Amino acid sequence: MTHTNARKPQLSFLGMLRRSLTHRRARSFSALVALTVSAAVATALLTLYADLNAKLHKEFRNFGANVVVTASASSPLPPNALAGIQKAAGPDALVAPFAYAVATTDRGTSVVVAGTDFPAVQRLDAWWDLAQWPTAADAALLGDRAANFIADEHDVKLTYAGKPITLVGAGRIKTGGDEDSRIYIPLAALTQWTGVSPTVIEIQIPGGAAAVEAALTRLRAQFPTLQIQPVRQLVEGESRIVDRTHSLMYGSVLLIALTVAVSVLATLSASVLERRRDFALMKALGGSQTQLMALFLLEALVLALAGVVLGYIAGSVAAWAISQANFHTATLPRLSVLPLVLLLNIAIAALAALFPIRVLRGLQPAALLKGE
Amino acid sequence: MFFRLLWESFRRQRRRKALAGIAILLGTTAVTAMLALATTIGDRIHKELAVYGANIVITPKADLLDVKIGGVDIKPSTGGAYLKASDLPKLKAIFWANNITGVSPELPITLNLASGQQLPATGLWFHHNLANGGSSMITGAPPLHPWWKLTGAWPSQPNEAVAGAAAGLHIGDTVQADNTPLRITGLVSTGDATDKRLLLPLETAQKLANLPGAVSRVDVSARTKPEDAFARKDPDTLSPQQHEIWYCRPYANSIAYQIREAIPGAQAEQVRRVEQNEGNVLERISGLMWLISAAALLAAGFAVSAAMATAILERRAEIGLMRSLGASKGAIAFLFYSETGLLAIFAGTIGYLFGSGLAAWLGARIFAGDGAASIGPILNPVLLPVVVALALAVAIAGSTPSIRTSLEMDPSTILRADA
Repeated sequence: MTHTNARKPQLSFLGMLRRSLTHRRARSFSALVALTVSAAVATALLTLYADLNAKLHKEFRNFGANVVVTASASSPLPPNALAGIQKAAGPDALVAPFAYAVATTDRGTSVVVAGTDFPAVQRLDAWWDLAQWPTAADAALLGDRAANFIADEHDVKLTYAGKPITLVGAGRIKTGGDEDSRIYIPLAALTQWTGVSPTVIEIQIPGGAAAVEAALTRLRAQFPTLQIQPVRQLVEGESRIVDRTHSLMYGSVLLIALTVAVSVLATLSASVLERRRDFALMKALGGSQTQLMALFLLEALVLALAGVVLGYIAGSVAAWAISQANFHTATLPRLSVLPLVLLLNIAIAALAALFPIRVLRGLQPAALLKGE
Repeated sequence: MFFRLLWESFRRQRRRKALAGIAILLGTTAVTAMLALATTIGDRIHKELAVYGANIVITPKADLLDVKIGGVDIKPSTGGAYLKASDLPKLKAIFWANNITGVSPELPITLNLASGQQLPATGLWFHHNLANGGSSMITGAPPLHPWWKLTGAWPSQPNEAVAGAAAGLHIGDTVQADNTPLRITGLVSTGDATDKRLLLPLETAQKLANLPGAVSRVDVSARTKPEDAFARKDPDTLSPQQHEIWYCRPYANSIAYQIREAIPGAQAEQVRRVEQNEGNVLERISGLMWLISAAALLAAGFAVSAAMATAILERRAEIGLMRSLGASKGAIAFLFYSETGLLAIFAGTIGYLFGSGLAAWLGARIFAGDGAASIGPILNPVLLPVVVALALAVAIAGSTPSIRTSLEMDPSTILRADA
């Protein structure tokens, strides 16, 4: 046994460790694979889990405004209200102003004309799904129903309090909601034509019920004269669904982590048990119980560490791929999951090395070596 | 002899069998639970998404233009077209009738109070049995508006009503409308313009407005398949085969199309704000569950095959002994595969039972209060063969390399080395 180390006849502890890991490569390799799998699964699930809330809230942003600010007839919106509301709602909030006037079409039907900021609405109301958003200063976006009451869709003639205006039709919008019965034009054009200023500001506050509640408090404190209402079904629905998906993921993560941990534990302790003969031989050659356990433990820890390094990389790649496939946005590797993964893997490895201790302690080296 | 070997192997090597069995059991438990959750997640999240209200709305085709700002009618239309309430049971006869989970017709009217004031009101169903032939369902406005908060009770008699929270009425008040006394049984807070209205039974509203059987708008909540490029096609431009496929998929567009066919004079449209985004959210969450289930499957497969490989490797001496006693390679392989198969079927079935129970428990805990019973039975019989087959495949695949290497080794070498 010492011929590889002639200068130092007594094999050092580390030398023994190295030899034990490299001597039976197949066994070390299967243990390494098991520990890599457990670390990879833990990394992937924890990374996804840590990112889940942000990802889900992002999906819910597409539902559009979750807070509506309305000016009462007696006190119109102050001129700088939009900037003030944006500031109070936070830099991530999307805001869009709306002004409404009731005009008459060239067929004599009353119709609601809404003036708004099209680029802001495009961000806020992603579900409008227009092939082309209007850009011209005199563009008119016709609701699907409203369009039936207009003689020429390309040359939209409207009258408000005796004042006529001709707008260029920029296509139809069909949402199945109130928008279908309206005509949308740029805010500047509406104000110039009718003198009506914005009375409604729609806000999208990201981040669920708590964030909306906080923003509402700030807004109400700053604008006491305005009526500020959350869109209840959106705020409640978002929190409920995010919470439930979160719990579901939590349950799944625990379940999978536990399964993998126990299976890896079973495999590893079986392979430690398999080395009863090594154990007996070392004991017969004068190794103490503590020394031998330390050797087994250290061996398992080295494998566990290697498993964490490989598993962290594999798991981060898996999380990235799952996120890319499902949410179409990347989830970057998170260093913050590393300590937990490390802890988990070391715990599995340590348990796997120590679990057979009871079996090994009772062994009589002589009996084992004789082959009984 | 073969069966005796098999029997003795299970009887004598309990620890080894238990270890491999536990690995399979845990693996199948996790996989069953994840698959059971993934297959029901669509329905569960759909129920959660019902909080956003109807995803299809039916209006009369020849309606006048709404002049509504912020939910308030600026110029209430007089006359106009209506749908017939008697047409609504036809909704339960369309191709995707079973996917329709809620129907709520409404009729806005204006009540002339005895005091000379006018009060806007809406006629609604509260607890209506919509039946057509064999199928029926209890539906109405409250399930389609889960964000409405009620104090008191919904009307159960024709002369009862609930008032919006901002209408200035109290429970127990009586509203005298055109010689009909209406008793207020509850107050409802809706967070929108409905807060200023009186909600009364549809039939009473029809009588008061002298519009028998009239309905001005119907909200429908339907379980739909998220829209894809095919769903957006105009069905009338598709070839007959394509049209058939389009028609037989539960897209919101196809359900709306079928509603238009079933109810003459009706215009049915998907509510894009709800429908488009619900589809997305549903797709993301169930996609995530399926991907995680796939990850669970992969991890469990790894763990089980590793455990099987170890279990066989430990028994190399046995293989050597059998070989030296004259057993053929085929006979030994058959014995080991039989053991593995028996173990996989046994542990896989138990794992299936555990996993189904675990999924039901998790589902009930997480989605508490949604009526878990309606999701379906706890045991999904389709999963049993799937899970057991997976367990068999993984266990056999995991033990094959070890069995093969053990068989190829010289029996005398094995016996000497492992004594």
